[in-house]
Amino acid sequence: MRTAIELLVNGVLLGGIYALMACGLNLIFGVMRVINFAHGEFLSFGALLGVSLVIGFGVPFLLAVVLVAVAIGLFGFLMQAALVERVVDGPPIMSLLLTYSASTVFVNGGLLIWGGGYQGMPGVFSGSVSLGPMNLSQARLVAFTVAVVLTGLVYAFLAKSMFGKAIRAVSEQPEIATVSGIAAAQIRYLTFGLGGLMAGAAGVLLAPMFASDPQMGARFVIKAFTVIVVGGLGSYVGAFVGALTIGVVEVVGGYLVGQTFATALLYFLMIAFLLLRPSGLFGVGIRR
Amino acid sequence: MSGRIVALVLLAVTAALPLASAAYVVSFTVQLLLFVILAYSWNIISGYTGYTSFGHTSFFGLGAYASTLLILHAQIAWPLAALGGGALAVAVAWPLGLVMLRLRGSFFAIGMFGLARAFEALAFGWASVTQGGTGLYLPPAYDLRPIYYLLAALAFGLVFLTYRLDNSRFGLQLLAIREDEDGAEALGVKTTRLKVRAFVLSAAAPGICGGLYATYLSFIDPPTAFSPATELTTIAMVLFGGMGTVLGPLVGAVVLSVLYEVLWARFPQIYLGMVGLAIAGVVLLMPRGVLPLAMRRGWLPHGRGALRRLASRAVPAEA
Repeated sequence: MRTAIELLVNGVLLGGIYALMACGLNLIFGVMRVINFAHGEFLSFGALLGVSLVIGFGVPFLLAVVLVAVAIGLFGFLMQAALVERVVDGPPIMSLLLTYSASTVFVNGGLLIWGGGYQGMPGVFSGSVSLGPMNLSQARLVAFTVAVVLTGLVYAFLAKSMFGKAIRAVSEQPEIATVSGIAAAQIRYLTFGLGGLMAGAAGVLLAPMFASDPQMGARFVIKAFTVIVVGGLGSYVGAFVGALTIGVVEVVGGYLVGQTFATALLYFLMIAFLLLRPSGLFGVGIRR
Repeated sequence: MSGRIVALVLLAVTAALPLASAAYVVSFTVQLLLFVILAYSWNIISGYTGYTSFGHTSFFGLGAYASTLLILHAQIAWPLAALGGGALAVAVAWPLGLVMLRLRGSFFAIGMFGLARAFEALAFGWASVTQGGTGLYLPPAYDLRPIYYLLAALAFGLVFLTYRLDNSRFGLQLLAIREDEDGAEALGVKTTRLKVRAFVLSAAAPGICGGLYATYLSFIDPPTAFSPATELTTIAMVLFGGMGTVLGPLVGAVVLSVLYEVLWARFPQIYLGMVGLAIAGVVLLMPRGVLPLAMRRGWLPHGRGALRRLASRAVPAEA
């Protein structure tokens, strides 16, 4: 029983970070119907940049989260402005191929900058906290808390601010939004930047838990795909719920059948959802 | 007519190459032929039918593992084992096609991508059979020529098949599915049956190819078998040459293979990044590829020659 609760809590904690990554990915999909294959590299760049700042320059961890999030957000903004904007109205395969190839270029760039080795963040939140009968890793608790706060802030931004309302307008009715005087292109830049910001922050938050390397992005982006398929493509809340679900499935599944089979299980879960319930738990449905 | 002469010359050069050149050239051409086969296979489902698969290495990897296991445990000769790999790919592709082809556009692409990663995870996890990350070793192949000729036969077979497809009712039906699937269905095209057939067709050769590749390397492990780099390179080749054309995959495979060989030899560290840049460049600058460009300029005849001749003959008969 204690193990079960501990697994459940650990799954939710992991899911919180997936949420940060997947909500951004889903926001991008909602606004421009583009699936960003390079989202994993936002995460890995965030993690590695975080390690460089914290270990190399002695920047405090939470400050590093903010700095990296802003940097990766800017990176996403520029990527949209320079690349994705050109194919946004084309057939989906073009944007898929473009972000897929961008992802390989980024991985290669990351290998040149940071080398191929694993980089850890030793000594940062390495302790554990006793919560009743459970022992929880400090790093996971901090990461979860920051991730949930950030996801909530972005949600509030989407719900309340003018920019946020404009993003939702473009996501739901692009033509009418444009006619109503919303500069759709600017909204797309902003959305991509926001997605980058969230994924970059998620990367730094992951760094104390897992060793980071430039090729880690692919492992996480496919998990984020699973999350948004399960939660529902285009739905912010769906991505959040989906992320917690996937976190729990991964941790509990890993305990029951081993890590590699749990990974395979996630992919089969994604394919099953694509086939049986393509709109996911909260999806906006498929706009072809 | 001139097309037939070019084809014969190509055939003669391919046949004579291993007799007259160094091992390096043969080894390079083996890889080139491999990509020609993968590119033509991918072209059938993604170029003609319009279902962009990001996980066709699934069949390559399945074939590689099936054939390696057949050689190791059943002592079957490698050409037969490779055929066994192809058979497994087909056996898996059929039910898989029925299921996966219900997805469209980006959803099919992600689904196939996830599938290849799932197979890779299984190959890692099922260590009692696949040795996990250690990989499986085969006795080394000293003479590459038999592999070379088999690959060459397969490659020429696929070019010919694609030529026939381009001029057939089946090919036109696939193009109709690509352009407007619901419209095609409404006009009586049996879309499900035909696209599953195209999917299975596009899985067979990569399965055989995977088996031959394992024999060529005398080694297979999950990252080699289900490599995203293989996938990406194949897609880049077809995209560069022109999706849904007869000669596009060949042009793309030859041009990019030579380019990659040069890049890989000179800049091994940024090789993959260069491939990515090449794809991005093609997507942004000439999304339809080289061949359609050449056809528009009139340097090459348009595709579907036989059907076009048929159509132009029908008009005066009615008038």
